[in-house]
Amino acid sequence: MSATGGDGRTERLLEVKDLTVGFPTRDGTVLGVDGLTLNVGSHERLGVVGESGSGKSVMGLAILGMVLPPGRIMGGSVRWKGENVLDEAVANRVRGREIAMIFQDPMVSLNPLKTVGAQLRELLQRRVGLQGRAIKQRSLELLDMVGIANPGDRLKSYAFELSGGMRQRVMIATALACDPTLLIADEPTTGLDVTIQDQILTLLHNLSTELGVSVLMITHDLGVVAQFCDRVQVMYAGRIVERAPIAQMFADPQHPYSGGLLRSVPRVDRAATELAGIPGEPLDRAQFPPGCAFEPRCGEAHDTCRGAPPPLVKIAERRWVACYNRPGEAGETST
Amino acid sequence: MLRWLAKRIIAAALVVFVVTSLVFVVTHVFTDPATVSLPLEASQEDRASRRAALGLDRPLSVQYWDFLSGLVVGDLGESFFQTQPASKLVFERLPATLRLVAGATAVTVLMGAPMGMLAAWWERRFADHAVLGFSMASISAPPFWIGYLLIIVIAAQLRWVPTFGSSGFKSLILPSFAIGLASAGRLAQMTRRGIVEELRKPYAVTAMSRGFSRSYTIVHHTFRNVASGFVTMTGWEVTRMFTGYTVVIEVVFSWPGVGRLAVDAIFDRDLILVQAAVVVLATMVVLTNLLVDIARRLIDPRVDLA
Ligand SMILES: Nc1ncnc2c1ncn2[C@@H]1O[C@H](COP(=O)(O)OP(=O)(O)O)[C@@H](O)[C@H]1O
Ligand SMILES: [Mg+2]
Repeated sequence: MSATGGDGRTERLLEVKDLTVGFPTRDGTVLGVDGLTLNVGSHERLGVVGESGSGKSVMGLAILGMVLPPGRIMGGSVRWKGENVLDEAVANRVRGREIAMIFQDPMVSLNPLKTVGAQLRELLQRRVGLQGRAIKQRSLELLDMVGIANPGDRLKSYAFELSGGMRQRVMIATALACDPTLLIADEPTTGLDVTIQDQILTLLHNLSTELGVSVLMITHDLGVVAQFCDRVQVMYAGRIVERAPIAQMFADPQHPYSGGLLRSVPRVDRAATELAGIPGEPLDRAQFPPGCAFEPRCGEAHDTCRGAPPPLVKIAERRWVACYNRPGEAGETST
Repeated sequence: MLRWLAKRIIAAALVVFVVTSLVFVVTHVFTDPATVSLPLEASQEDRASRRAALGLDRPLSVQYWDFLSGLVVGDLGESFFQTQPASKLVFERLPATLRLVAGATAVTVLMGAPMGMLAAWWERRFADHAVLGFSMASISAPPFWIGYLLIIVIAAQLRWVPTFGSSGFKSLILPSFAIGLASAGRLAQMTRRGIVEELRKPYAVTAMSRGFSRSYTIVHHTFRNVASGFVTMTGWEVTRMFTGYTVVIEVVFSWPGVGRLAVDAIFDRDLILVQAAVVVLATMVVLTNLLVDIARRLIDPRVDLA
């Protein structure tokens, strides 16, 4: 699958800068996302990959200005085409219409008591402003687009009457209902059969090409990234530790954590989150060292790593890494 | 759906049968209407002659058969004290009780649901605390006390509505609130808890991520998902109204309903009439539960059809 556009040809849509989301706990505030920086351009498929608990889901919601209680966005900015999404009025306009999100478990992400038709209708009516017959027509068109056979019958179905793959297709249809420009997909294939996973990824890939929709693909599965994305960012402990075009990331990972992730690329016979190449316990967010969060598990750590978290710096064209062992080009910190 | 409904109705009829039979056992095996109607110091002969007069000297099985065949045609025996058919006396009073329960249920639902939604909408803000305060106050005050307060303040002092009797809609207001406030308080708390919980669920988060406001999501997404529990709990409240609250409030407000009739019958030692009132109220409870089942089935398509 080919990369769409280099930096020169894409227009910047989403700019996230220093985004920090905190959750108050008994032992103090846990940072689910910690100074995160990320950009998505038009016609781009960007992957965000990291272990469970690294802050991917928190990031996805925070991009829409949303946090589950008791969390709070503590700092940073989210700009959509230059507008501040953390402003509630802007967020109301952007949510669903510009940026739509799909979630991991479509069984519980669709309203269990509303038919597929009712869930599409309320979006088309209230968020798009369609009326009368146009609603039905567009609903059928959307279901057809996501590859659902007999869309007329399916409009009357409830989520519990559909298979897992079918539910995720419906979820995608509701996400596309308002013609968004960016789709955030939070583990959209986790929990599905391998063949269904493949179908859903292919569907998302085709839709993003045909409709010109950018996709931010959140996953813990490097296989998904390899199959789907043009560019990838590796996330660890709420921070981006490496960012690279897909081919370069797989050929030549720079951050020690990325290297470990790649060596543990999921095989059929092993859980996808298992990190063969990385010694030590998976992250425990309550006991962060003051320096680099990966330092306790890193084979290359030295004194500097224990001081302060390393900044994300540019080491080559379109390549960024946050590691004291990979000094960047002078003066180029993350944008 | 029709078969399911038929099954539910048959089950309800069975429950009525069992409950009324239990009532018969209490009123004819443990004691009997003749004994109850006489003073404790009455002689054996007096008792025997009254038992004979009331047909209570016949075998229990014959009496039970009489009772059941009477039940089918709505004959619940004759009130000993008022010498009228007990069912006539009870059914004359039933509309007043039904009006009262309807009024109290309206207060319960129309206050409980919006207050719960408001509290959830403003979770941990002033409105939430205010609703909680109201709920605690209304739940901890006994209905007769609320009724008494309402009579003293609103009816006697402000003279907005009549203090007693059942003349017209206005007279329904105070007793309905006296019964309904506590139920509304309980329901508001349940609704609030349910909605706050639902709002964290993925489908609600999804709805909000599509740009629906918190208030729209509460009303159009989460409330439907707590509605089933809401209806069930409203059913319990209505049940308690029939079996308890109306009795007290009908006495406090001199409301001519079945509850007051039963209390009077107890003081008159009129066991047949008490029995008739209990049978009718129990039937109302069973009907309430049937309605709750139907409503839940309509709200949630996943409710088992078996
Ligand atoms: N409701 C919450 N309360 C406390 N901490 C939370 C909550 N939600 C998320 N977090 C914190 O944020 C971190 C990231 O969570 P999440 O984004 O769900 O991870 P991922 O999606 O990458 O598996 C968690 O490890 C946890 O420390
Ligand atoms: Mg997640």
